[in-house]
Amino acid sequence: MKTYNIIFTGVGGQGLMLLSSILGKAAVDAGLEVMTGEQHGLSQRSGSIYVHFRVGEPISPIIPYGTADMMIAMEATEALRYIEYLRDDGVVIMSNRVMPSPIETAELIADKERNYVTLEMIEERVRTVTSRVVVLDSLGLAMKAGNPRTENSVLVGAACACEDFPIPVEKVREAVLALVPPKTRDANSRAFELGLKAGASCLRE
Amino acid sequence: MTVEDVKREDHGPALMLTNEAVVRAALEADVKVVAAYPGSPTSEILDTFSEVLTHFGDFRMHVAINEKVALETVAGASMAGMRSFTSMKSVGMNVASDSMLSMAYTGLRAGCVCLIADDPHAHSSQSEQDGRYFGEAAYVPMIEPSTAQEAYDMVKWAFEVSERYRTLVIVRTTTRVNHQRGMVRLGDLKRTPFKRKRWADVRDSYFTVGAVARELKARLLEKVKRIREEFEESEFNRVDEGEGDVGIITAGVCYLHVKEAMRNLGVSLPVLKIGTLYPLPERKIADFLKRVSTVIVVEELSPFLETRITALAKDANPSVRIIGKRSGHFPEMLEYNVPIVERVLAGVLGRETSVDYDAVLERAKRAKEGVLPDRAPIFCPGCPHRGTLWAFRQALTRLKIRDKIVFNNDIGCYSMAFLPPNNFSDSMLAMGASVGLSAGMEMALEDKVIAMVGDSTLYHAALPGIVNLIHHNSNVTLFVLDNSVTAMTGQQPNPNSTYDAGHTPARKINMERFFEALGADSVTIIDPYETRECVKPIMEAIQRPGFNVIISRRECALYGDREKKKRGEKIVPSVNDKEVCRNIYACIREFYCPAIVIDESDRKMVIQQDLCDGCLECRQVCPVDAPRRMEVRQ
Repeated sequence: MKTYNIIFTGVGGQGLMLLSSILGKAAVDAGLEVMTGEQHGLSQRSGSIYVHFRVGEPISPIIPYGTADMMIAMEATEALRYIEYLRDDGVVIMSNRVMPSPIETAELIADKERNYVTLEMIEERVRTVTSRVVVLDSLGLAMKAGNPRTENSVLVGAACACEDFPIPVEKVREAVLALVPPKTRDANSRAFELGLKAGASCLRE
Repeated sequence: MTVEDVKREDHGPALMLTNEAVVRAALEADVKVVAAYPGSPTSEILDTFSEVLTHFGDFRMHVAINEKVALETVAGASMAGMRSFTSMKSVGMNVASDSMLSMAYTGLRAGCVCLIADDPHAHSSQSEQDGRYFGEAAYVPMIEPSTAQEAYDMVKWAFEVSERYRTLVIVRTTTRVNHQRGMVRLGDLKRTPFKRKRWADVRDSYFTVGAVARELKARLLEKVKRIREEFEESEFNRVDEGEGDVGIITAGVCYLHVKEAMRNLGVSLPVLKIGTLYPLPERKIADFLKRVSTVIVVEELSPFLETRITALAKDANPSVRIIGKRSGHFPEMLEYNVPIVERVLAGVLGRETSVDYDAVLERAKRAKEGVLPDRAPIFCPGCPHRGTLWAFRQALTRLKIRDKIVFNNDIGCYSMAFLPPNNFSDSMLAMGASVGLSAGMEMALEDKVIAMVGDSTLYHAALPGIVNLIHHNSNVTLFVLDNSVTAMTGQQPNPNSTYDAGHTPARKINMERFFEALGADSVTIIDPYETRECVKPIMEAIQRPGFNVIISRRECALYGDREKKKRGEKIVPSVNDKEVCRNIYACIREFYCPAIVIDESDRKMVIQQDLCDGCLECRQVCPVDAPRRMEVRQ
């Protein structure tokens, strides 16, 4: 099969590694070859982080620029930060959350006229690379599912709604349930379904 | 998930991080003693061993004080007849190399393997140091894998080679190999019980000096000759057949970039993949050079292979064209990737790259321009270092000596004092270097000399420098940031902890008592969460002549929160009382907590509840006490 490349991006502490583990397990259970290039580095929170996730016949652990079929961004500015990895018309599934960095906050107090970068500004720029952008209120959906810590499952669910997504949705659902903390299984299951539905309706538009 | 794969007894495929596959391989090789000091990108090796230690109960492990002690520990175990393993980051080998170069002479007994991980791009290191020279410099075999599977295979092989030739074997990796996850075909796990040996049964001489050293050197050279013969035949040095008279020689992660670049270009050039960096398979390289007119050498960092290939080409094929760093095709710094390799291959073959990478990068640059904010590394919410550094700067301001001091920083999370908002550190070289540099500066400068180390760095390499300062009556103020654990690499225990690997009990060293015993002129303990209260004692310690120590004691927030959760305690976030807040912004200026943002509607500070750790350091720096603990309903 053709290699399907996904780049996960986000902010340290958001649970990107769990996201990668879930899709990794799902792909393996579906009999697919998987390879990832992860960023473990130092342990401080709040930095910019990514995981290169490759299914099919990957050779290098790092996705070449302009060839990621999908980007899953747990934070909006982090989608733009790694946009060079996305191929023309690749799918971007991004949370609507913008987490300002302290550097930006400091700029706001230095200049009273200035405001934070908005989701709309980020989305507009992401759309210069692709028109297939799914923006999700991942936190809102996670709360609706009953647990704000289930944003991961919302985003994974939305990814599964994409028609060329290579991992069968059933395998992903099973992997979610297998890897999340047992107490949160029900909430994660609901979050996954909400993400799946939201992704499908966005991609149809 | 993957720790379960490390533990499983049967064989079969598993998706594993290379660092986990390395642990699995060592366990399959029945490793009995493990010692390591954490360091990115190897920390998960130590963490994984630690996590499975009590599960197996049939090997022993130390989170060692530093890499030299770790290597000596595993060498000692090998001399005592037990298979042993250590891993360290690139610069760790600088520390360990003193003993490493001698143990090559004396040899060892049971299989002893050391993994060293270089960090091209200096993602998490102070330099891009190329560790490949260590093998050759020490006459110690060194091998290099490309994938998780190969790392697994090579570690198992390394134990055999080590035992066969009674030598240390080094497995060299780079960040992109350590932090790569891929499928690994596991073998069966057959462990044997741990049983102490008797020295009488394994005794040998491991002593080298003078005449003995000369005799050992002659034997070492003979040993290397035999290893070279074995490595010539090793399947880890292999030619992937291809077409044409342009060939590629590569190793490590670059091999993967090469293979993917060739697939993208639709070409199949012969590739010699080098698996043994020392001794190199010189005959295989010479044979390969004879069959090509152009050879492209693909390797990150120094022209290590290229230089040796160039030397071999003198006899094998003097007219061969060598494309590499000396020809200007490849950089001698940073990481490589598929686009970098593909561009060079396309250029040599006169083809177009599969993607117009320059256009893609240009488009991305335009998309980000003027919009994308920086997100530099920053102290976590609740980090005690934020309070310590704030109080330190306040003390300097109040003493009016901000321009009359030199501040030697050291390796740890607190290295980030160099970044905004502190922008503060005159030096940072290597573990413990702050105290060594301070000795010279104290002699040469009229300014006050201030050094800073964390608890882990204190024990790792700062102690000799500290004894040196005290002995020489130096006027130096030393900050020790005591946050209970080796925070930066993932909160591993160190001599400041009450436990060791696998949470087995260990003796906590009392640092204030040893500072007193060494003869420090004063030892002051401060709590960075009582940030305001810290300023005065810091001022006093800086003003006092002699060697004065400030221990800033408060556990790492990530570690502390985990411990709280274990105890069932809730983390109660703070809120900013907008009625009290007067937009002074002390909590933002020179503080930079990720949980703190501005409400654009009234320009007041807001604390993001899901990020806040509830430390209330921000209340401490607020002149009007606006941030407070959130009221929680029981």
